[in-house]
Amino acid sequence: MISARTRGRRFAGALVATAAATTLLLAGCTADTSSSSQGGDGSGTMLTIPREDMGTFSRNFNPFSPNAAPMTQQAIYESLLIYNPADGSTVPWLAESWEASDDGLTLTFHLRDGVKWSDGEPFTATDVATTFALQQQIVEGSFPYVERVEATDDLTAVFTLSEPFSPGLFEVGQQIIVPDHVWADQADPDRFENPEPVGTGPYTEVSNFQTQSFDLLPNPNYWQPDKQQIAGVRMLAFAGNDGANLAAINGDVDWAPQFMPDIQTTYVDRDPEHRHYWFPPTGSMVNWQLNTTEEMFSDPEVRKALSLAIDREQIVDVGMAGYTIPADCSGLSGSYETWKDASLDGECGWIAFDPEEAGTMLDEAGYELGSDGTRTTPDGEPFAFDISVGSTSTDWLSVANIISQNLADIGVTATVNAPDWAAVTAGYEQGDFDSGIVWSDNAPTPYQYYRSLMSSETLKPVGEQTFSNYHRFSDEKADELIDAFAATSDEAEQHDIVNQLQQLYVDDAPVVPLFPGPEWGAYTDARFTGWPTEDNPYATLSTRSPTTVLVLTSLQPAA
Amino acid sequence: MRFILRRLGFYLVAFWLSITLNFLLPRLMPGDPVSRMLSRSQGQLDPSQIDSLRRLLGVDDRPWWEQYPEYLWRVLSGDLGISISRFPTPVTEVIGSQLPWTLLLGFTSLVIAVIIGNLLGILAAWRRGSVLDSFVPPLLIFLGSFPYFWLAMGLLYVFGIGLGWAPLSHAFSVGLQPSFSGVFISDVAAHLIMPALSIVFVSIGGWMLAMRNTMIGTNSEDYILMAEAKGLRPSRIMFAYASRNAMLPAVTNIGMSIGFIVGGALLTEVVFAYPGVGYQLMAAVQGLDYPLMQGMFLTITGAVLLANFLIDIIYVRLDPRVRVS
Repeated sequence: MISARTRGRRFAGALVATAAATTLLLAGCTADTSSSSQGGDGSGTMLTIPREDMGTFSRNFNPFSPNAAPMTQQAIYESLLIYNPADGSTVPWLAESWEASDDGLTLTFHLRDGVKWSDGEPFTATDVATTFALQQQIVEGSFPYVERVEATDDLTAVFTLSEPFSPGLFEVGQQIIVPDHVWADQADPDRFENPEPVGTGPYTEVSNFQTQSFDLLPNPNYWQPDKQQIAGVRMLAFAGNDGANLAAINGDVDWAPQFMPDIQTTYVDRDPEHRHYWFPPTGSMVNWQLNTTEEMFSDPEVRKALSLAIDREQIVDVGMAGYTIPADCSGLSGSYETWKDASLDGECGWIAFDPEEAGTMLDEAGYELGSDGTRTTPDGEPFAFDISVGSTSTDWLSVANIISQNLADIGVTATVNAPDWAAVTAGYEQGDFDSGIVWSDNAPTPYQYYRSLMSSETLKPVGEQTFSNYHRFSDEKADELIDAFAATSDEAEQHDIVNQLQQLYVDDAPVVPLFPGPEWGAYTDARFTGWPTEDNPYATLSTRSPTTVLVLTSLQPAA
Repeated sequence: MRFILRRLGFYLVAFWLSITLNFLLPRLMPGDPVSRMLSRSQGQLDPSQIDSLRRLLGVDDRPWWEQYPEYLWRVLSGDLGISISRFPTPVTEVIGSQLPWTLLLGFTSLVIAVIIGNLLGILAAWRRGSVLDSFVPPLLIFLGSFPYFWLAMGLLYVFGIGLGWAPLSHAFSVGLQPSFSGVFISDVAAHLIMPALSIVFVSIGGWMLAMRNTMIGTNSEDYILMAEAKGLRPSRIMFAYASRNAMLPAVTNIGMSIGFIVGGALLTEVVFAYPGVGYQLMAAVQGLDYPLMQGMFLTITGAVLLANFLIDIIYVRLDPRVRVS
């Protein structure tokens, strides 16, 4: 369900973060590089994957449930198309092709012929129609722009939209499709635990389901039988990163998608020939948001000055352990690489490290340096504020501390305020905060990203709960551009609009971008080969994103 | 009998108070389950769906005084509702799949710690100034004062990773089917040793010291002198006369400990990836999963009260003075 590194993992992981580091260091010291054998049941080599934020599993394979068992949406069910953020490509999957009508009100998907459900029934356009009806019934308000879905023939699904909405292609295309013959008669589809799932995916047969592990065996009717090279997928439950990391270090699992401190020493160096990691910067952009409803942050020049004062190199190297790269001018994460406007490079004066310029800009804005070395606001108050961050996110906490030190150097007092994430998020939602470290929206097109950063549609007054645009900023020009983006499905035009949005972002500085979130991923090719790498980014190494099935259908047992 | 009835009344009031607190406390925390889910998904959930997600997951947003009577009734009728963070799995099923492992781990380590700790305490007090009395208590206190996860990780490192004697994680080997076969039972036992040992190491010092200290008090009683004067065997005096009386505070402690076992051993579960309610409880609190939290607190409260009630009854049997007063 979630492709970005989630805070759920942070919650769990940081509880004994120090302890984790300790064991990892200890473990790293031993020279035992022998990979222990898999499971020990002799049933062929299973691809073993840990799940670090579930102490135990529940047998719930309902793909509409936000808490379905891992791999439900990756190995059991499939979508019409797959968007790969690592290289910006779109892979046709259950649909071979699709097209939008010129008015943008009709979206037609041509389904792949010969696809079967795991029980042998053929996959048809009726399944697609039923899926969307169910999704809209279970979660009211999902796909608000989809008026109806019709199966005009067995292999053609036609979506009628209530308004042109181009980002909808990816949302619709990446919806998991369920079989009509199983789901149409469910009286209570949202409460159906679906213990024996019927899907089109490569590994659908649930086997040996235990509280802490289960196996998914090959789908006997898969449409790409030549790509089911592995004997099965085995999931293991771990209550926290520690256990999962230990299993990875010990060679018990093949794929390690969780955060690992000092991964080179603790993991890779124990078996450098086989073990690799790749952290593409395709997670959501991590920002330092300033509450623009506060007087001091309402001036874009002040926001730019504060951005100039912070040292992103240090933030990335020290705070994030070198696992990611500093943000660039576009303010876009690596997942939007193809959308970035190359001409902007070097044009934005405020995403660099220049404390002197920052000081000058603050002087000009009226935040002058006093004789005691601290700055005051134009009203004569001390220029001081809080930086909020959840205490369990130790990496983001050290990022906030670096920002605080950087700001102290130019006479600004920023105090790091680190209660529990729940309290921090509640403050963000109500607008009751000065500034804070925050994630952003991450979707196949930058539409959602800009909508949550600069649109008046997402803007709520302070005191009213909101779930995006916490920093409460809007710009009428951005509204027009965002609406224009949704209205056109012409790619060249979309790129032109996004270029204009990037320019607007540079002018407005709605937030202070820090770095794109890295997507963790490590693996050993001792037992399986064919993993995605930086040179062959056919997918990311995430086990919870739509691209996961691409990895599952590419891996092969090592010779 | 009147004594037991009076205790029973007291427990009923305590039970009511605790389930009321269980109900109120989570609702005083900021946020609600769906907004927490949303903030964790980092923009992957669509904010416009929040309201329908709330309805879907059965988040009750009526004021608490309307929910409360219904909550009381449901608790009394044994309906704990459906977990929000594990929707649509019922709370009883979530707890039910984990509680057996928690109880197995908790009881095994408690029984070992109580037996060994009390025996050591009895012997240490009986032979005051011996090696056992002078060196073992400080050593055990030293072990017990380690940060808990440090000790567990040390054990895991030495015996699991270094020597390879014990399995690293989980309650039984992956790929095994639970059954009453020798293979499965011995596999479970092998996986139980280290988590249990880490708990025993931490708790044993307390049992030993408490027992030793009350034993020393009992040893100076007149009836011990009397028993010695009668020429009874020392072992009989030690166990039947001295330790039976010194046992009383320990019995109270056992009752308390049994109750708390049900809460799970969070850090053991995290370090050894052992299934149990501790981690689930933490996840429920962080995700504001009210039904699951209430179900777990209810189980814990029930267990603590039940254990204490049983101990009260045993006390009546063990100590005649309670019956008289």
